[in-house]
Amino acid sequence: MITTEEKLIEISELAFEYPDGTLALRNINLDIYANQFVAFIGQNGAGKTTLAKCINGLLKPNSGYVRIEGLDTRERGTTKKIVTKVGYVFQNPDHQLFNNTIYKEIAYGPRNLGLDEKDVDERVKEAAQVCGVEEDLLKEHPFFLTKGLRQRVAIASILAMRPRTIIVDEPTTGQDLRQSLEVMNFLSNLWQQEGHTIVIITHEMPIVAQYAQRVVVLGQGQILKDGSTREIFSEPDLLAKTFVKPPQITRLAQALNEYGIPKNILSVPEMVVAFNEAREKNLGNQTSQKGS
Amino acid sequence: MIAVSIEDLGWKYSGRKNFAIEHVNLEIEEDTFTSILGPNEHGKTTLVSCIKGLIPQSFHGVWRGKVEVFGKDVRNQSAQALADEIGFVFADPEAQFTSMTVEEELVFGLENIGLPLHEVKDRLDWVTDIALIADLLDKSPYEISGGQKQRVAIASVLAMKPRIMILDEPTSMLDPLGKDFIFEILTNLKKEHSLTLIVVEHNIEQVAPLSDQIVLMYDGNIAKAGPPAQFFENSAFLYEHGINAPQATAFLDQLKSQNLYTGALPTDLKDAIQAATSLLKSKEPSES
Repeated sequence: MITTEEKLIEISELAFEYPDGTLALRNINLDIYANQFVAFIGQNGAGKTTLAKCINGLLKPNSGYVRIEGLDTRERGTTKKIVTKVGYVFQNPDHQLFNNTIYKEIAYGPRNLGLDEKDVDERVKEAAQVCGVEEDLLKEHPFFLTKGLRQRVAIASILAMRPRTIIVDEPTTGQDLRQSLEVMNFLSNLWQQEGHTIVIITHEMPIVAQYAQRVVVLGQGQILKDGSTREIFSEPDLLAKTFVKPPQITRLAQALNEYGIPKNILSVPEMVVAFNEAREKNLGNQTSQKGS
Repeated sequence: MIAVSIEDLGWKYSGRKNFAIEHVNLEIEEDTFTSILGPNEHGKTTLVSCIKGLIPQSFHGVWRGKVEVFGKDVRNQSAQALADEIGFVFADPEAQFTSMTVEEELVFGLENIGLPLHEVKDRLDWVTDIALIADLLDKSPYEISGGQKQRVAIASVLAMKPRIMILDEPTSMLDPLGKDFIFEILTNLKKEHSLTLIVVEHNIEQVAPLSDQIVLMYDGNIAKAGPPAQFFENSAFLYEHGINAPQATAFLDQLKSQNLYTGALPTDLKDAIQAATSLLKSKEPSES
C-alpha cells in the first residue's frame, strides 16, 4: 500500500451516538494519509456514512477526536476551515444541487468563504475543467444534465473548495456498467493526476477490487479490519461475518487455492495468468510422477 | 405454450424524435425465467411495459407491430383482463402500497376480487412463505426496511396468482443483504408451476444462474438473446454493449478462446469451480 508520511485524517477512540440513543460508532481508530484511495465497506447500518459525516465535521464525536489536517472537529469555528479540507459528495447528487445554473452551483461554496468574484470565477472554471464540465454548460440548469454529469457537477462544487480529501457516498449505486466506470475512472484520475485523497463508500466489491488501494471494513459501528485491498479480500471468513462477499473471481480463486492459485486474485486477467501457471505446474507434476 | 409473443414491435413516446424500441422480436415460453439486461435508457422498461399493456394504455405515442400474451393481442384486452394474467413489481415498492399493515396489504387484492375466506387464508400463507415475510405481517408497510418492502410488494403481486410476473429492477434500490433475499425469493418463484418470470436486472451475476433465456436490449433493439451458456460467449461483444458477463463465466470464456475449455459456459460459481478444477487435474481440455 502506498502511504506517504503526511497524515490528513487522524481519528482516535471515536464514539458517536445519535440523539435517539443508537450507538453508531465506537472505538474507531483510523489514520488516512495523503494521496490514498480508500473504500469503506460493510452492511447498511454498519456506520459507514456516520463515519464519513464525522470526518467532514457534520457530526461531532461524543468521545474521542477527529482531526483533519491537525484541526479538531469539536473545536468552535473549525467547520468553515474543515469544508476546505474535506468534501463530502452525497449518494444522490440531486440532494445537493439547488441553484439554477451550474456556474452558481459550483460558485456557491467559494462565495460562502467570502472570496472575491475574480477568485470565485477562477475556482469555478478550474473545478469545471477538472470535472469535464464544458464552459458553455456553465449557464445551463443542473437538472437538464444526465445523472453522470449531475454527479460531476456535485463533485465540481466540492472541488471548488479545494479540499485535499474527497469522500463520495455510493458513487455507482443505481448506475449501469458504463456510468459506473465513467465516475470511477474520473475519481481515479483525481487521485492519480491531481493528487487527491479519495474515500468511497460502496457495496460494489468489483469496484473496490478494481480501484481502491486500502479497505476499511465496518460492522456494528466498529472497524473490523483495515488493510490493503488484496489483504482484505483474501479473508473470506472475516467478510462473511459482515455479509460482504469478495468479487466472484476472488471467490473462484479461493476455491481453487489447493491447486496453487493465490487467494488474493482481484481480476479476470490476473486469474487467467495464475490459472495457466498453476495448470502447468500441476500437469508437470503429474507427468513426472507418472514417469518415475 | 408460448406465454409472450412479440412481432416487430416498435414504440415512440409522444414528443420524442426517435423510437424507444424498434423491430423487437421475442418469444417467451410459459413457465420459464427470462432476464432482460442492458444499459439504462436502452429500452428495457419500455419493452416490459408493452408486455404488461401499460404501453399503450397509459402512455401516448406511436405503436408498431404486435404483442400477444397467451395468444391474445394486448391491445384488444382491457386493463382488468391483463391484470389477471400479468403481475408487475416496480423498482420502488412504495409506489404500490395502500394499507396500514403488511397483512392487509397482502389480502387487499384478494378481497377485492371476492375470494372466499379460506382461499384468502391459503394464499396469504403461501405468499408469506415464498416471500420470507412471516415476521412482518402485523407491521406497517411504511415502517419496514427497503428490502422488506420489496418482499411485501412481490408477495402482494404473487397473491393474485398471475400467470406471468414481471419484475422491473427489483433489487436496484437495495443493499447486498436485501438483494440476496430477493434472489432467494426469485429462486422460490422459479420452482412454482405455471409461472412465467420476466426480470429486468443489472445484477448479472445473481440473475444469470436462474435464467432460461437472457435478452440484451441495446439502443432499442435486441442485440443478443439466448440461453445463458450461449449468451455469455464472446464477453468482448457484451462489454461493447454495456454489460459484463459474471466474472467466473468470463474467465471460462477466456479459457475457451485459448481452446483449453470446450464445454458449455457455466453461469454459477459452483459449476465454474467444478469446470476449472477438472481442467487443473487433467491434461485434456475439459468438457464439463
